[in-house]
Amino acid sequence: MPQEHDPTRLWPVDFLVPDLRDFGPRNFGGGFFEPALRISLALATSERLRSGQNRALPAQTASLCMKRIAGLASLVLAFELLILQSLHAREPRSFNFENDITPFLNRFGCNSSSCHGKAEGQNGFKLSVFGYDPAADHKALTMESRGRRVFPAAPEESLLLQKISGAMPHGGGTRIRAGTPEYLIVRDWIAAGTPFGHASDPRVKEIELTPTERVLPMQARQPLRVTAIYSDGRRVDVTHLAQFQSNNEVVARVDDEGWVSAADIPGQAAIMARYLSAVAVCQILVPRQESPAPFPQLPEFNFIDRFVDIKLRKLNIHPSELADDAEFLRRVYLDVIGTLPTPAEARRFLVDRRLDRRARLVDELLARPEYADYWALRWADVLRVDRQVLGHKDAYAYYSWIRKRLASNTPFDLMVRELITAEGPIEETPQANFYRLFAKPGEMASTLSQVFLGVRIACAECHHHPFDRWSQSDYYGMQAFFQPVNRKKGPAGEMLLASGKAEARNPRTGEMVRPHPLGAARPHPETDTELRRTLAAWFTAPDNPWFAKNLANRMVAHFLGRGLVEPVDDVRATNPPSNPELLDALARQVVEVDFDLKQMIRTITRSRTYQLSSQPNDTNAQDEQNYSRTLLKRLPAEVLLDAVCQTTGIGEKFAGVPAGYRAIQVWDSDVSHYFLKLFGRPVRKTACECERNAEASIAQVLHLLNSPQIHFKLTHEEGAIARLTSSCSDNVNLADELYLTFYSRFPATEERQCAEKYLAERGRDRRHAAEDLAWSLLNSLEFVFNH
Amino acid sequence: MSRYVQHCNGINRRDFLRVGAVGLLGIELSLPALLERQARAASPAGQQRDVSVIWIFLKGGMSTIDTFDLKPDAPSDIRGEFKSIPTRIPGVHVSEHLPKIAGQMDKLSLVRSFGHRNADHGPADHYMLTGYHPIAGFNPNLKPNNQYPSFGSVIGHKLGARSSVPPYVCLPILHASAGSAFLGPSAVPFVIESDPGAPSFSVPDLAPPMALEASRLAARRELLGQVDRYQRRAEVKANSAARSVSVFSQKAFDLMTSPEAKKAFDIAQEPEKLRDEYGRHTLGQSCLMARRLVEAGVRCVMVDHSNWDTHYDNFTILKSQLLPKFDAAIATLFRDLADRGRLDSTLVILSGEFGRTPRINKDAGRDHWSKCFTLAIGGGGIQGGRAVGTSDAWAQEPADNPYGPEDLAATLYHLLGIDPKAELRTPEGRPIALSSGGRIIRELV
Repeated sequence: MPQEHDPTRLWPVDFLVPDLRDFGPRNFGGGFFEPALRISLALATSERLRSGQNRALPAQTASLCMKRIAGLASLVLAFELLILQSLHAREPRSFNFENDITPFLNRFGCNSSSCHGKAEGQNGFKLSVFGYDPAADHKALTMESRGRRVFPAAPEESLLLQKISGAMPHGGGTRIRAGTPEYLIVRDWIAAGTPFGHASDPRVKEIELTPTERVLPMQARQPLRVTAIYSDGRRVDVTHLAQFQSNNEVVARVDDEGWVSAADIPGQAAIMARYLSAVAVCQILVPRQESPAPFPQLPEFNFIDRFVDIKLRKLNIHPSELADDAEFLRRVYLDVIGTLPTPAEARRFLVDRRLDRRARLVDELLARPEYADYWALRWADVLRVDRQVLGHKDAYAYYSWIRKRLASNTPFDLMVRELITAEGPIEETPQANFYRLFAKPGEMASTLSQVFLGVRIACAECHHHPFDRWSQSDYYGMQAFFQPVNRKKGPAGEMLLASGKAEARNPRTGEMVRPHPLGAARPHPETDTELRRTLAAWFTAPDNPWFAKNLANRMVAHFLGRGLVEPVDDVRATNPPSNPELLDALARQVVEVDFDLKQMIRTITRSRTYQLSSQPNDTNAQDEQNYSRTLLKRLPAEVLLDAVCQTTGIGEKFAGVPAGYRAIQVWDSDVSHYFLKLFGRPVRKTACECERNAEASIAQVLHLLNSPQIHFKLTHEEGAIARLTSSCSDNVNLADELYLTFYSRFPATEERQCAEKYLAERGRDRRHAAEDLAWSLLNSLEFVFNH
Repeated sequence: MSRYVQHCNGINRRDFLRVGAVGLLGIELSLPALLERQARAASPAGQQRDVSVIWIFLKGGMSTIDTFDLKPDAPSDIRGEFKSIPTRIPGVHVSEHLPKIAGQMDKLSLVRSFGHRNADHGPADHYMLTGYHPIAGFNPNLKPNNQYPSFGSVIGHKLGARSSVPPYVCLPILHASAGSAFLGPSAVPFVIESDPGAPSFSVPDLAPPMALEASRLAARRELLGQVDRYQRRAEVKANSAARSVSVFSQKAFDLMTSPEAKKAFDIAQEPEKLRDEYGRHTLGQSCLMARRLVEAGVRCVMVDHSNWDTHYDNFTILKSQLLPKFDAAIATLFRDLADRGRLDSTLVILSGEFGRTPRINKDAGRDHWSKCFTLAIGGGGIQGGRAVGTSDAWAQEPADNPYGPEDLAATLYHLLGIDPKAELRTPEGRPIALSSGGRIIRELV
């Protein structure tokens, strides 16, 4: 957790000079003021914080203060540099291409994926994206294009310098101005004969981003420093050559120079820095500004609340009130079984006065068949039950396997092991259909990683992952496990087999990579047998760094409306969880309950955090990140359609499944249906959770307001509205029934009066009036959202 | 759109105070309208005209070396099969498969030195439709995928609705980069979700069920306002998803009750002969629908037309399928706009996300090529009949006057009377210039 803001502590106190060799006599002027300015601004910021003024200082004071500090800092720094420079200036400079030149190619965007770094290069000049392949880049610069790119004899005439400095027309414009330290270093490197360096040269081992965590007042600024640590222990300030990115710009932004600015919204942001292939993260916490009122005394229902509260206290945000029984009822039905409570179920729960009624309700729901329907639908999305690819029979068998596992509450780790190790006749092992979805073994590896670890490795097929530590050898190490997977037609139908050598070829280097799981240093296992068994054991081991967390995070996203890591399938060092302690605790719980999905649902739904009201209070209206209130979630397409069918009492017939099937039971996401398509049903062409689209549109609103299909259901002679109108002779009673049907609650007094008045005013047209009321209920936010 | 919604949508407190101050002086102007008036006064182009935009997006990337910028002197594996023909404008030649457009060449101009730096569909789409290259974190698979607002969203946001029709409409479907990004739900396009070329075309769900009489509709709407308690409570403000639905509900009602919209969408009112001339297919009828929408008051119509991604059999596909339809639809659109006296106030842009490789590949196709392609543009104050800039001998790179998406943005906003240097503010208060340093293409205006 970020440390509390300490206004007396100056930062940075341990200022580190940049690589002194970059500040030779000629280069001195260009690179001097920047570090001085950084120090003085840092001091000014600290000064501002110390004085307790979080808003801007009066311009005059600030400017005076800055001038003084800047002057002082400049003097000190100049002195320091002069001394150090005299010690180092005579040392002849030896270059290493990766250490000295590649950082410029990164920092100035030369090798970005939209420029020379893209697969086909730019204008006949190709660099490896983000500089992951220094040898190839060196070759491209020094050997290609008949050696015109660099001229050691007349360095300034080199195409490279001419282009980047704008002396010659360059599609990318002027990148490095002539005479700047960066320009001079490139020039000196060319003059030195464009050396590549030696294998024994020290390399950047890691980077340090300081501070690593910080509590910032709103609108405050904070400079960051990136220190590269070389394999020989040397530490160099590389802030000016690092690249920065914030994962939550709403809370805090970062500029190219590494200055973080907090905005006006409380919350947390992770600022990532990248230098060569090393990455590091700084956590920024921005608390709510207003003077803290005492944190409300609320009971802890379980450990989840403890970790949420710790975070909320830091942010000076108070959680909302507890939800009432009706809110909890509708929420938990929709979340656990994707189904609305019927009016009878609602009545039953709303009169239940037992203290443990909420927990009992969850147990009841977990035992219902709709539980398996709904969760099979969600897992079938990411495990890609795709009829177009698999064919009708096999897709259905694959889906049925998923549904059965969920219905019997198979421990999740076991289910995953069964999937990964699938082998034999496909008819007997329907989960083997998973492997039929892919043409390339690398896709099998990357999909399994994304779905079960939340880690995306697909980037590393072609280049080093730009925001994580995955290299091509990690990718091909994972691919190697699946290299032997192939299929054969036999007497008993198609078989999934493993044959051939388990190694994958890295097409760039030609190197054959042996299987090794993500992050493992050495090939593992040593033999080619039982390959996927070994991998499955590694995936599902309690100490796997991602598996349990991934499951916990996906469940949090489902129930609380937002994952601790977002997007849920993009876990990486540079995209840290919003509440790491909570994620750790949940992952421990996953292991403790032996990967029992239902038990995890009990844990989450039992927390006070899950049971909070969606009504914001004065402190948390801007917080959509820290679980201080219940977030409104648009009902998923299938759930919304089922809700419309259930409330109106008129079902839907889907192509290819028997009549009476509900939308959450339709296993084929390709069944043509305008409503489902309009409301964002995924097409299952990727394993990305983002395929399910919850974006609203005018067309969706129009469909609920006007479509003949909805009108048909509302006005049907055998529908719920017709039935209720004739069975409830009393208008109050009719209003109550309609509210129970659509909202799973009784109307409040004024709502009841309003409804009764509307029904009464249209005396003879009572049926029409009831349809109007039902139409209004169905078109309200309260209906289309889970709250 | 009500002032309330605009306030929600990111005008900061200081702006709001300024609106209030203007209000005190008794001038009934919303802040955007006020700023717009100022911008318009400063801009000669926008003074007389109130310009609308029709963008025919040639998704996949049109091969402009086979259409608007032929290279008859290049080797055969560059120049391809098509011959060039003269147009109404001496010295300007186009493909033999665009004879009708050749006859309207006085009404549009060609920027043959157009290009940009990204040859991937997703990011290039975003670049062309927003004037901004995507930044880190761009996910082309999202729909919408906008990191910056599309031109149509900016136009709708800055100028507002002209009538009861929405200012920004997409047809027949939503282009993935046509979204509003940080401008929020009030600036998203209305998407028709229906093919104007289909015989049974209608905009889905626009009209209430036939059985409901007007009085009941009004009563229903009032009732919905009373029933929907979340609309009135803090939840709407505190949840971005609910805010979107709330804004869309308002827009849906505006649209349903709009006589202009109802009339515009009734494409069957057009004379049969004219419909035939546009062509009885998706592109032809979409162009016709675009013209009708502009007449009804829409400020920006985005026609998303697929599929120009001719990696295989480029020439067969172009000459037998794409170009005959394109030629008829576009030539008729320009002529029709001129006939109705609307060409001067309707800017028509013809472009996809990029062009195609000069060199023909082994499958008789052409691959992605973003460095140089032709932007065809006319009406709305653009000088017709010009060929601006030239490409090099093989159309690989601009030979002179290179222009790109930023310049298109600057030109487009300038023609609409919007200052290209004006800034938008993200909800976090971050200023974003409308055009990222683009230059107005002076040869055109």
